[in-house]
Amino acid sequence: MPVLRLPKFGLPVKYAYITGRVRAMKTKLIPAEMYPRMMSMELSEIARYLEETQYKDEIDALSKDYSGVELIEHATFANLAKTFRKLEEVSIDEPSFLILEYLRRWDVWNIKTILRGKFSGATDTDITKYLVPAGELSPEHLEELAKKDSINDIISAFDGTDYASALAQYDGNNLASLENALDKLYYFRMERAVGGTLSVGGGLLLKYVRREIDIKNLITLFRMNKAGVDGAIIQENLIPGGKLHDELSRMAGQPFGEFLRGLEGYPFWSSISDIATADLDAVSRIEARLKAYLIRYAWALSNYHPLSILPVLGYMVSKETEVSNIRKIVRGKEAGLPAELVEEQVVVA
Amino acid sequence: MAVVADAGTLYGLLAVGAGLATGLAGIGAGVGEQGIGAAVVGVVAEEPGFLGKGLFLMLLPETLIIFGLAVSLILMFAWTPFAGIVTP
Repeated sequence: MPVLRLPKFGLPVKYAYITGRVRAMKTKLIPAEMYPRMMSMELSEIARYLEETQYKDEIDALSKDYSGVELIEHATFANLAKTFRKLEEVSIDEPSFLILEYLRRWDVWNIKTILRGKFSGATDTDITKYLVPAGELSPEHLEELAKKDSINDIISAFDGTDYASALAQYDGNNLASLENALDKLYYFRMERAVGGTLSVGGGLLLKYVRREIDIKNLITLFRMNKAGVDGAIIQENLIPGGKLHDELSRMAGQPFGEFLRGLEGYPFWSSISDIATADLDAVSRIEARLKAYLIRYAWALSNYHPLSILPVLGYMVSKETEVSNIRKIVRGKEAGLPAELVEEQVVVA
Repeated sequence: MAVVADAGTLYGLLAVGAGLATGLAGIGAGVGEQGIGAAVVGVVAEEPGFLGKGLFLMLLPETLIIFGLAVSLILMFAWTPFAGIVTP
């Protein structure tokens, strides 16, 4: 496990290339005003629109195998993987290390996808279609994993790696505890690799990740407090390591109204204050607002540290959000959901 | 009038000063340009159309060398304080 130990002097210059590049890449993201327009388009029109954007190569390459929703979904995923791999390849030293550390979340995502696929009895070609090889595990390795016969075979393939401890949680009948353990492991590893070093860049990455953990925990709290789940169970599901962890874990199991009053005054409150009321019908609306807050937070931080990992982070978060927005729109269209419902879920920072 | 030093030494010191003026300005410009250059190359890799603007931005610190060069030229050719000293 590599641990970051680099001197402080001369580092900002190493970020100049990659920040310049992501700032140029940011201009190619789909503008926020396109989402409402995409919602009024047909699926084929959306595919055509995406062909005029950065997704062109993927749409062209995959259009002979897929069509409609599948085409858009696979093309956006393939583009995401390509873009993130590119970021990792064109950066050096500290930026490269930190980007890879962030991208390990896609390894976790892929492991989860493979396990879920095997659990539900999907074929290996079906599983491979939904993999996003943006992290450290190579596409070939992931394909090999997907070809294994049983979940236990996959778990034993990770023997000796960091994932082994989390994968050992599998009890044979459900994946929830294992998935939770994988998430916790991801954040734990990042803290171990980046935390407590001399590096300024690593500190900034941790600062963002701590806020991200808080937001994730907050969403868990919203869901579980709303459903009236017992406090002890909620606390088990919270990811440790967030900046507000102690305060948030005290809120676990509180009655919903009291929980909302407790949130007032936190920095994220202003982005949800108008919809976070006791008669809130869908937590997903809160989720979309909080994710938008997180993107704004990343870009706002990057203004204070223009030559750091933060612009890259901001870009990666924006790109992930863009892909998930496109997926939400096309999946919503396919399922015939009303436009307002989809619009609420789309994250616009 | 007392002679402070011989003319050759004075002229030599003046030349060293002129060299430092241009040389240090050059180093400063280089330090300034390394970040800008790297960022410009990054942007141009994504947006080839940015090359013109990028080059312009990259050359901004270069103006500092002109100041240094101007001082050097003045020292070497226009300002000759020892003109009076060297006369016996």
